[in-house]
This record gives sequence, structure tokens and C-alpha cells, in this order.
Amino acid sequence: MGTVMKFLWAKTGSLSLPGKTIPFWGFSTFQRDPQVPGPIVEAKAGDKIIIGLFNSFYNSSPIQEPVSIIFPGQENVKVNELEHFWRRFMLYLYTQNDRYLSRLALRGSVPVKPQYSEDLMVSLTNYLEPTNYYNLKSIVYNFDAVNPGIYLYESGTNCEKQIQMGLYGVIVIRPIGYDTPGHPNYKTAYGVDTGSEYDVEKILVLGEFDSNMHNNVDSGYYDDMLKFKPDCWVINGRSYPDTLNEDNSSSQPYSSKISCRAGERVLLRIINAGFYTHTLYLGGLLGRVIAEDNFPLKQSGMDATYEKAGFTLGAGQSVDIIVTPTIPGEFYLYAREYNHLVNNEEFPGGMMTKLEVY
Amino acid sequence: MVNIDLWAKDGYLSTPNGNSIYFWGFAKGENLPAQLPGPHIIVKHGETVTVNLTNTLPEPVSISFPGQAEVTVNGSPVEPQYVNGRLLSFVNYATPNGGTVSYTFTASYPGTYIYESGTNPHKQVAMGLYGGLVIRPTDYEVSKTAYGAGTDTEFDREYLLIVGEIDPDLHQAVEEGKPYLVSKYLPRYWTMNGRCAPDTMFKDGVEYLPHQPYDSMIMAEPGEKVLLRYIGAGIDIHPLHPHGNHTRVIAMDGRLLRNNTFDRSFQRFTVAVKPGQTYDQIFQWTGLGYTPDNPIPTILPNLRNMGIGAAGWTMWSGSPYLGVKGDIPVGVVSFNETGEYYFMLHSHSEYQITNWGEFPGGMMTMISIFPSLPEDVGVLK
Repeated sequence: MGTVMKFLWAKTGSLSLPGKTIPFWGFSTFQRDPQVPGPIVEAKAGDKIIIGLFNSFYNSSPIQEPVSIIFPGQENVKVNELEHFWRRFMLYLYTQNDRYLSRLALRGSVPVKPQYSEDLMVSLTNYLEPTNYYNLKSIVYNFDAVNPGIYLYESGTNCEKQIQMGLYGVIVIRPIGYDTPGHPNYKTAYGVDTGSEYDVEKILVLGEFDSNMHNNVDSGYYDDMLKFKPDCWVINGRSYPDTLNEDNSSSQPYSSKISCRAGERVLLRIINAGFYTHTLYLGGLLGRVIAEDNFPLKQSGMDATYEKAGFTLGAGQSVDIIVTPTIPGEFYLYAREYNHLVNNEEFPGGMMTKLEVY
Repeated sequence: MVNIDLWAKDGYLSTPNGNSIYFWGFAKGENLPAQLPGPHIIVKHGETVTVNLTNTLPEPVSISFPGQAEVTVNGSPVEPQYVNGRLLSFVNYATPNGGTVSYTFTASYPGTYIYESGTNPHKQVAMGLYGGLVIRPTDYEVSKTAYGAGTDTEFDREYLLIVGEIDPDLHQAVEEGKPYLVSKYLPRYWTMNGRCAPDTMFKDGVEYLPHQPYDSMIMAEPGEKVLLRYIGAGIDIHPLHPHGNHTRVIAMDGRLLRNNTFDRSFQRFTVAVKPGQTYDQIFQWTGLGYTPDNPIPTILPNLRNMGIGAAGWTMWSGSPYLGVKGDIPVGVVSFNETGEYYFMLHSHSEYQITNWGEFPGGMMTMISIFPSLPEDVGVLK
């Protein structure tokens, strides 16, 4: 039972999409550029997860409005609104004494709750007011990593705007022993006897961006969500062919390209961070669904897993599938909403990536 | 060894509100019309299937077979095709204006599948280059099942419904050689086997719908097991709902919902047909009994209050008893033949049961329960 601590900043930045550059808001780690999806938080079942959120502190490009994080799929989330937590954080940067910091974060934390102002709900959860560079508030959430799976974390304040602007990321909770050779849970997504053994793992976060809206929000012009009309279709924040580029240190750091050898079990962890429904389609391949919204389908000897060619995910939903390609070759994984396979009206592009089998 | 020839051609679709829409579709022969959906391909588990495509259209066309593993062209696995490093097609294609390509695969699992263009799919699939593939179990003649003896998938009659949507403006853009702008996509027609209601209920192969040969009228006797195969060929979700019947989903994407002895099939009153995906279901209509001696436990409304007069016609027999015809208000024509009973089957996104905004229309058909039916009704060909 360990502690996983992650400190996130909400920042403004810019995204590079085929043929255009658009402003966005994203989560970042200390002194880094914001990114989409946000930094991946990895933990093991039983861990305590502590996530601190800063906005202005050490941030030359803060978001000029309240910001928060919600954790769909996690229960009993608690929060600490610490006035001077940043000082302890600075100390931690020098001492690396995370035990002291985590004790401070947990002590006196209270359950999160929706926030109201003059009887109007202003946030789904406790939030951080925008401040200036020298007024250095933070908010620290914590919860127990209970069930293995892949979860979103995302903005809980002005979500219709902030999530679209890019304030979302992924939490992966793995079973104890997943990284210990010889352990029954070794290289499984959900533990022994859940049909989740894998050789290669890939997280694919689906989404869409409306570049007009991003430009309007950036220029401070309030954008009417009724005009929401996305034109960029992304996996891990990138459109094809950029999806195939390697991991890098840009604001879109995660590659979506998958490589394996014939016969290997590829665990695809697909999660929809967008507002639209998206169907990831495997073309000539089929995958076995081993979990939906992090509920494993094989449990206590009852095997309810099933095979499919297409996986349709509503907003916020996730699916874990195992694909075992039998022959070498290139296989495209793409949105079956074919209108989303374009960049600037031209095929190929958008929500598409590739599985290379050797 | 099964050989199937398909031609990619163009043609015009008819809609019930009098529109004529340019489309691209697969045809069975060089001198036969393009059709929507493409010709049904019906083969048997284990057979080697070769599909020969001749492309008469002005751009490359291919066929992808989602769910079929190890499709080959000239003995090598199909592979993505590039021009100057830019992806052109998910699989090998036939060149424009007369090119050919042959795909071969082994029908390795019974079930319902889609076949569709793998080239410029945002345009070509929407234009109509799609069809249905049904693979029957090897023991089909003996077991009369969808997935083989012992899979609890026996059926008496079967129907295949392939649903999609049409944006007439984008079709016209293709006809006129104008840019195909997906951002302008706005469907006005919602199709079931390429037709909009009420055309969905016309018979197979009626001569006035030369490009839309397949009907969607579902007919069965009481108690019969009806196999419904849905394919979503469009890019939107279509929640299909057969009034008065719950269906049991026994397979999706051509895979039986069963792991050894564990039955994971499930019942639904509405099945959301999602893009590129297939759903096999079985349902049985069982009424309360259909003899005049069996009283209906409610009082029937007055004929005048039954709302069957406004259109001037009705499908109602005039009697609540199956096989019995009763009174119909004077001036109303009943299209009821032998006292059969009709239910609607339609998309529950009700704006989709219109033709360019006019109800009724679109993605809608009828289920009809007859006291008796010939054996050749509800046989997929």
C-alpha cells in the first residue's frame, strides 16, 4: 500500500493539429508545458492517490477562471484546501520527503462536494479560485485506488468549456503484482482469472476539438455551446498521421501507434474523453471485450467477455479489449464514424491510428 | 469455393417523397443496376469465398470485410495502400474506370457482417458502397440455426435489415463533381435496406425501385422464431424498436454471445444499432390466443375513436382476432389481407422516421403476424 502523489497545474497552451494551431487548456506537471491528455497518473490497487492542483503558482500562463478536478469512477474523494501548501511543496522539492507532504495533504481532508454561490451551482466539486502569481493557493484531493481500471480525471468547473479546452487526463489503477514476475496478477489488467493477461498495453483516449471555440475562448469572447461544432478528431490529443509519431515532450506527448508480434496479446484501453459518441473500429481484426467502464466481465469463474469488431463509447465511457493479431501486417484502427477520418475535410486524417504486427 | 462478382457503379435512388438521388453502389453484374444495399453475400462456414470487384467509378474503390481475418489478394494478405506516403485505401483497390481486384477469404465463423468500401470511406460508404454478408453454420440445412446445432439459435424465418442515412446534398455534390465537405453533413433520409418508409414495405425486387431491391417487411406466424439480423452501415446510431416485441440479442458483429456453457445473450425492447456493427436477435410473437371464443379483457374503443380514418387507409383488419376481418369505417380502405396483425418496427430517434422532415417515412417498417404463411416467406436470398 503506497502513496501516489501528483501535482498538476492548469495552464493555457497551444496544440498542433494538421493544418492548424489552436489554443487549449491542459494539465501539466511542475514547470512543464500543459498537455492533452494530462499527465497519466499510475497507481496500484490499495494505494492512496493524492492529487494537488495549482493554477497561478509557478505558472506564467494560468487559466483566468476557477478550476477543479473530478474523478469519475472513484468513491470517497476527499479534499484539503490548504492556504500555504505551496510552501511545503517547495520544501518537498528540496527534501523529496513525500511522507511529510502526504500526511499534510491527508490530515483534516473532508469529502468533496458541489459548490454553490448565491444558490447557483458553480462547480461539481471544490475548486481553486484564479489568483495571481504571488497569491499561491492550492487544492489537494485524495482517494483510495480501489478497483483496477482506466479512469478519467477532468475539470469539474465550467466543464462544458474546460473539458473541451483540454482539461482531462487518465488514471490507471493496476492490480497488485502486475509488475512482479511470478505473481498470479503479473501482466494482467484486472488480476488473475479475469481474462486480462496481456503482452503489450496501449491507452487510447478519444476526443474532439472545436477550433473555433478554442480560439473564441482564448480571446475571451464567451462561446455559446449551442454552436459547438468540432472539426478536429483526436486520439491521445493528436490527429492522424500525427497519432503515429513517437512519444515526445510536446503538449501532445502520447503516441497512439501500437507495435507487436503476431500472436501477442495487445491490451487496448480505450476511453472517451470527448462529448461525442465515438466508435473505434478494428477493421479486419476482432477484439475481446474484457472490461466495460472498469468492470471486468470475467469474475468468479463466470466468463461474460465477448468479441467485437467495433466499440462504441459514449462520453466518459471506457472499454478494455484484448486483440491477438495472427499474421504480420499493418492494421488501421479508426473511427467508424467515417466523417471523423478527415483533416480539414480531406481523408485520411482525424481519429485513426495503426497497429503494426511483425 | 464460392465466386462472387460485384461491380461498383452509379445509379439513382428513389425516395417516397419523389426525390431521385445519385448514389454509388455494388451491382451483381455488368449490365445490372447498382443497388443499395449491395447484393447479399450468403455463404457457408468453412467455404473459401472469392469476391471479384470491377470498378466502373471515377476513383479507386475497394472492399473491406470487417470481422474476416486474413483476407488475401493474389495470395498475399490485403494491406493499406499509399500514394507518395499518403494513405489512399485501407485495403488493395480496383483502379478507376474498369480496374479489377479479387479478394479471397475463408468464411471462418458463422454470423452477420458488413462489407463496405475501404477507400475514401467518408465518401464512398456514405454514397452507398456497402452490403451484408451472412455466413451460415455448416449444419444449416439440418439444424436450421444461425450459429449451429447446440447454440440455441434455431429460427423459422429470418430477415436482414441494413440501416443507413443519406445526405442528398453531399450525394449531389459527388454527382456534380463538387468538393465532398463532411462538415456540411446533414442527413435528410434514413434508410432500411436502402429504402425509406413506406417503400420499405413494398415487395423484394419491385420494378419501380430498380436500385433498391430488398424489402423490409417482417412476416411470421404466432409462436415462430424470427431471426432479425441488423447491420448499421451509416455513421449514426439507430435505436431500432419493434413494437410489442422484445428481442433476444444472440450475437454481435458475428460472434455468438456464449462462452462455453455461459449464455450472455440478453433481451432488449430497443437495440441501438451502432456504426459498422451487427446484431442478431431472435423473437417470438405470442398473442393471447386468437379465436373469437376467447374474449378480449378490455372494451374496444369505438371505431370512430381508433384514429384509422384520417389517412383514408389502414392496415387494421377491423377485428382484434387474428385471421378475422371485421368492420372498417365507411370510406377507409383496409390493406389488411387475411386478418393479420401489424406492428411498427422503427428507429426510436423519431426524427429519423421522416422523409426530409415529413412523417411518416424514413427508417420504419412493419412486423406482421399472419395466421399462416407459405414456407418461402422470410427466407434470405
